[in-house]
Amino acid sequence: MQPERWQKISGIFKSALALEPEKRSAYVAAECGADDSLRREVERLIESHHQADKENFIDLPAAAEAAPLLVSPDEEEEDSKDRLENGQQVSYYRVIRKLGEGGMGQVYLAEDTRLNRTVALKILPADVASDKRRMQRFKQEAKLASSLNQPNILTIFEFGDLDSLHCIASEYVDGTTLRVYLSGAPVKLPDMIDLTTQVLAAVDAAHEAGIVHRDIKPENIMVRRRDKVVKVLDFGLAKLTEKKSEHSGGRSDTEANTELLVRTMPGSVMGTVNYMSPEQAQALHVDERTDLWSIGVVLYEMVAGRPPFVGVTSSHTVVDILEKEPAPLTNVGARAVPPELQRIVSKALAKNPDERYQTAKDMLIDLRNLKKRLELDAEIERSYSPESALLAETTGRNRSPATDSMDTARSKAEQSETARRHRLKLTAVVAAVFVLVAGLVIASSWSRWRRAGVDGPAPASVALPERRISYWMTVQKYRNGQPFENPFRLSGEINFEKDYRVKLNVSSPQPGYLYILNEGPAPTKGPPSFVVLFPSTTANQDLSYLAQNQRVEIPAQSWFQFDAEQGTEKLWLIFSADSVPALESVKQFANPKDHGLIKDAGLNDNVYEFLRTHLGAKPAIEKNDELKQTGLAIAGSVLVHDIRLEHH
Amino acid sequence: MRSPSSPHEITQLLAEWSKGNQAALDKLYPLVYKELRRLAHSYLRRERKGHTLQTTALINEAYLRLVEQEHVHWANRSHFFGISAQIMRRILIDHARRYDYTKRGGGAQKISLDEAALVAKERGRALLMLDEALNTLARIDPRRSQVVELRYFGGLNNEEIAGVLKISENTVTRDWNMARAWLYQELRRSVA
Repeated sequence: MQPERWQKISGIFKSALALEPEKRSAYVAAECGADDSLRREVERLIESHHQADKENFIDLPAAAEAAPLLVSPDEEEEDSKDRLENGQQVSYYRVIRKLGEGGMGQVYLAEDTRLNRTVALKILPADVASDKRRMQRFKQEAKLASSLNQPNILTIFEFGDLDSLHCIASEYVDGTTLRVYLSGAPVKLPDMIDLTTQVLAAVDAAHEAGIVHRDIKPENIMVRRRDKVVKVLDFGLAKLTEKKSEHSGGRSDTEANTELLVRTMPGSVMGTVNYMSPEQAQALHVDERTDLWSIGVVLYEMVAGRPPFVGVTSSHTVVDILEKEPAPLTNVGARAVPPELQRIVSKALAKNPDERYQTAKDMLIDLRNLKKRLELDAEIERSYSPESALLAETTGRNRSPATDSMDTARSKAEQSETARRHRLKLTAVVAAVFVLVAGLVIASSWSRWRRAGVDGPAPASVALPERRISYWMTVQKYRNGQPFENPFRLSGEINFEKDYRVKLNVSSPQPGYLYILNEGPAPTKGPPSFVVLFPSTTANQDLSYLAQNQRVEIPAQSWFQFDAEQGTEKLWLIFSADSVPALESVKQFANPKDHGLIKDAGLNDNVYEFLRTHLGAKPAIEKNDELKQTGLAIAGSVLVHDIRLEHH
Repeated sequence: MRSPSSPHEITQLLAEWSKGNQAALDKLYPLVYKELRRLAHSYLRRERKGHTLQTTALINEAYLRLVEQEHVHWANRSHFFGISAQIMRRILIDHARRYDYTKRGGGAQKISLDEAALVAKERGRALLMLDEALNTLARIDPRRSQVVELRYFGGLNNEEIAGVLKISENTVTRDWNMARAWLYQELRRSVA
């Protein structure tokens, strides 16, 4: 383009934009006179200007948009180089091994070489520690909490700037976080109550001293191995991540909301919003009662196997926290939750702090009384039924109907700590991607599926439990690596052009546990290998549990692509009333590093076994041409179906 | 590890670069590159829960670390911002190219469960296209292309850009509008 021409165009463009929108076109026409091509060019630019605005074109800095370019999983490994090595000396501490990555920084087991004792050494990120005022407030609270000498509060030995690292040395607890503890052997109801009362005792002492924890969650609660004594960690730490809580009282606008979300996230597990109280979510004034809410969430999660508020994204979760009543505990898998426990949990989870428990002590007393009552019930039951008493003794279990169902509830839905840790590490996302394409035809095997004998919804009073679920496929055209036109639902056979991509959508009128696997090629001997597609660190926050009518997309944040190789892709869809241990145990592989591939042969065999035993019971298939979706239904509590996508 | 150059040398290189000595950029590149990448990683590690990367903060921090002093002359810092934007651009483009290359040469995989790679590839392509369009713009209108470079790649705000280019903030806004509309048009044209 000629420089003069460019000057002319940009001059008119600039002046036109300075005018009211309705005056622009007349102005441009006047300026361009008889030069029609000039006028068209300016008008096109103005149009592009609006489009660019609408699409937020290059609005974010490139580094933000291109973040995945900068950090690949390999490079994350590289990152670990600036971590401490085993045996490394930091001032008078010798690092023994890494314990984990906790709230705000990495934690190591270390030996204090002056005093010959082992400590937990937490290294704070430099930027966090660099804010002197916030550090000061944090230290003050943490020291105060520690000085209370309450057995359930972790004791801090010292804060130090050692070899230019900001460290906190504290008592070492030989045990696991409550999160890990819950993913192990099933926990009985009296034990759940016991763990909760210990947390309450810690928080009660802190509240008396005027300290609010603000971040109670299973990751901040340690359970000592030998005696199951609970230690609550990170008192005061919330002060480090908060910016201006004391100035933000009364603000409830979305801006405050977002700000709060953003500042709660760094260094913490993504699920952190799950434990946030309504007042925290609104960035309102926070007091002691916020901790009681969070403890209520933890207790609910222990009993139900999942937190009371789980949304598709953090923002959805926050909305649920603010607006939704959690499903009653009786309805989340357990058969007989004592009504008193439901009452206690509901009271802790009252949206309005004034309607909640007002002190930790009140809640603690209610829970202790409940535990006593359960023990009494169990006693009575034993005396009435000598056989069951014998059984209880020989198995070493103290069973009551309530505890029994609790056990089941617990084992039904547990979250894998491994998966959670992965979530911490991921940049983005996992999902299956079938690599590139060239003019292939995919014929979904719908043509072979016949309408089965399930018409309309089942009558309300069915003797047998029934599972129902629907799914549909969405196609997105791509051109030059960009989405092209709107996605549409797939039905029957279509001509699949280069770079078309698909997504699987699943939804059910019933709550339940969903798993989706991709079957890999069968080896000459032994079972085929499986790839976990759902749940994953990006899909449903690693949870297999699907709420009623919740819709999930698989993959969550991208599309499946087919490779050029012809054949059938088999996707296994499993929807169960209860969580399936064989499938829960392979969720851990749904991360970018393992590519979803179940790398443990034993676990892979379990999955294969599970599918094999359920192959016989085929669900009835109901195809809805209008909605272009497929309904599946089966009598029983487990539905297993293979979706086949053929391309030839 | 400290960079081999002293803060004084960096200041000198910045001064030379601002006088139009492009060789100074080549000398600064490895230093700034290393620092920016290191910082980008630690930022991402901490802030990967969907926040945007604070590019300005990143560049600022890199500068302060490299010159090891708290109070710095604004002119020097402006120069540094300018240079960082160029370097950020190079880093990202280098990465985008590398991705494009390895994925094309990688051969057909049956299933690759790596959305990160896929997203990276797409973003990489978009970035390469933008880079090319920006080069074209630089030939027609160097200043407007610089505004885009500083804002999009350097993450600077209009005030900072005005400081670097020694123009008014209003001019920056107008330049940005024009450049962005033109780039948008160019990219849509090449996609269609």
